[in-house]
Amino acid sequence: MTDSLAMRRSASARVGDALTVVAVELVGALYLRQFLLTDDWRLVIALLAAFAGALVLMERQPALEARIEGAFAAQSRLAMLLGIAIVLAFPFALEGNTYALHLCVISMLYAVLALALNFQLGSANIPNFATGASYGIGAYASALLALNFGVSFWLALPAAAIVATVFGFLLGIPSMRTRDSYLALVTIAFGVVVNQLLNNLDFTGGPNGLVGIPVPELFGHSFASPLVIFGAELPPQANFYYLSALLVLVSILFAERLHDSRVGLAWNALRADELAARCQGINVTWYKVLAFAVDAFLAGFAGTIYAFYVGFISPDNFTFLVSVTIMTMVIAGGMDNILGVIVGAFLLTLLPEKLRAFSDYRILFFGVTVIAFLMIRPQGLFPQRLRRYGD
Amino acid sequence: MDDIVFQQIVNWITLGSIYALIALGFSLLFGVLNIIHFSHGDVSLLAPFLALAAVSAVGSALGDAASPAVFLLALAIAIGLTGVIGVLLDIVVIQRFRKAPAMMALVATVALGIVLRELIRHLFPNGSNPHAFPRLVSGDIALGRFNVPVFSLMVVAVSIACVCALFLMLNGTRLGLHIKAVSQDRDAARLMAIDPGRIFRATFFVASAIGAVGGLFFSSYAGMARFDFSVDVGLIGFSAAVVGGLGSMPGAIIGSLLIAGLDTLVQAVVPNGASYRLVFVFLLVIAVLVFRPSGLMGRTLVEKV
Repeated sequence: MTDSLAMRRSASARVGDALTVVAVELVGALYLRQFLLTDDWRLVIALLAAFAGALVLMERQPALEARIEGAFAAQSRLAMLLGIAIVLAFPFALEGNTYALHLCVISMLYAVLALALNFQLGSANIPNFATGASYGIGAYASALLALNFGVSFWLALPAAAIVATVFGFLLGIPSMRTRDSYLALVTIAFGVVVNQLLNNLDFTGGPNGLVGIPVPELFGHSFASPLVIFGAELPPQANFYYLSALLVLVSILFAERLHDSRVGLAWNALRADELAARCQGINVTWYKVLAFAVDAFLAGFAGTIYAFYVGFISPDNFTFLVSVTIMTMVIAGGMDNILGVIVGAFLLTLLPEKLRAFSDYRILFFGVTVIAFLMIRPQGLFPQRLRRYGD
Repeated sequence: MDDIVFQQIVNWITLGSIYALIALGFSLLFGVLNIIHFSHGDVSLLAPFLALAAVSAVGSALGDAASPAVFLLALAIAIGLTGVIGVLLDIVVIQRFRKAPAMMALVATVALGIVLRELIRHLFPNGSNPHAFPRLVSGDIALGRFNVPVFSLMVVAVSIACVCALFLMLNGTRLGLHIKAVSQDRDAARLMAIDPGRIFRATFFVASAIGAVGGLFFSSYAGMARFDFSVDVGLIGFSAAVVGGLGSMPGAIIGSLLIAGLDTLVQAVVPNGASYRLVFVFLLVIAVLVFRPSGLMGRTLVEKV
């Protein structure tokens, strides 16, 4: 009797969980769609206020937050499948707006970069101001391969990632000895050196960059032509939308697996106390260098897709400011929180685009936002969670 | 040939002195506050713009914009104002990151630098374009068989004077004693009735004012004031402080001379050197830090359990 009651209750709770998951994901998707399609800055401000209101509500009502979290934990498979379905269907909801689709692609590339940096800054608390440089190395490596040797996009993609990883290892070597502010300067210096070399070497095209990067093809379908699915025609940007969505998905899986593995645990131990970690038998040097390599690996992928998507790259795309932007995304979104980092990337890519009304003051606005964020909510939009075991 | 070599040595010493004035601020602030004030370069290079504004303001008030007295007064105003702005930045922003992780303060001050640059661009009339900035003094002095610009002599003399004043201040005055006490142990200093907040503000004023002198010299050396000068100069000043060892005053000076030396050498020797100067400078920074992880004169960090 009590057994069947418990079962019925859990069945109804399961339905409740499922409904919560569906509701949260749909609201999130609708919100993003509205944000992308609106042109009026007043509406943008209103949407931002709604987002802030939701965050404050969650903070005031921990029960609500726990309920949503519990629902996602209980229905993780449904959450993932529905999430994938929403991402797949999303371009159809954008009414063929190519600009919105373009913003989606760029946001997703930044999400990958922010996830890449999160391995270091979030998990291990290693300052790295060179993610933008790794991004550039990936973009230039693939573009040079394609332009000079006719290598196809699908081969250039892993090749560029390998090149970027090698440079990541090189950058990681000084981290064996330097720490904190000194390490931060090493990464800044690396970023400047890479940027200046791209700007001055002949084979990288100097300040003019590289132009005419060929459009990728897959099974005879050119990525420059519209994508037709079930008779519905999507603009050409949709090709890259799905490609970068795939990269984001792979990055999330990659990040989650790493977070749950001994590697993620070792990084967290490094963050908590490097000396204590060393005493526990963690090879601190190796894990630090590994963090740099993993960051460069993912950034290399993002760089390749960017190069082939835009078809034109120049050193200006990979400056110190880009690294700072990526770092801001991680800090504003929430360190070591995958969802937070992705939200941070979307928010900080879309906001400057949406507030075009003040286009002259964009950089100023950006700087003020960063400072305000660090002062008012230093833990980020979505603070990092405690590791949970056993349930 | 000798003339060219001598000319380059003069350039090296001049540039090294200018960098040192900015690097000293980075090192002083780090030594006392234990945070990187990344926007220190941007604060320092506010000074030329403040000086230009002060020249026109004072000039119109006295009706004589061209006289040297007005210009000197404007320079003094610019240096004082820059110091005050440094203090204001501490009160409004940097103060809040005292207890936060070091990364937070670093990113916040990077953003602060961006804000300062953009404010110059938008608030200063025609701020996006370069503004002519006069040589403070012109003419040469014959030194044996070589001619030395008076400007270089003045830069070196003023820099040495600033360093000596800073040294005397730190070692000979009550304020200096308090600054050293706070940098050694904030809580113990508080127990000795020293208000750390006041000491921090004093340090900000001194560092920013010295940086302002460096900023004025730099603009005068380059012949113009640009809102984006501070990107390179700030980065180089920071690098000089780090290469020398953060918190060490002699280190900041040695680091500046080292970086300025490489900078001058590359521009003189390497073909197309002007475009590769930053590459060489920052490769040097990386190399020094790989072999001397706490800089040349920095305290070696030994962690004890």
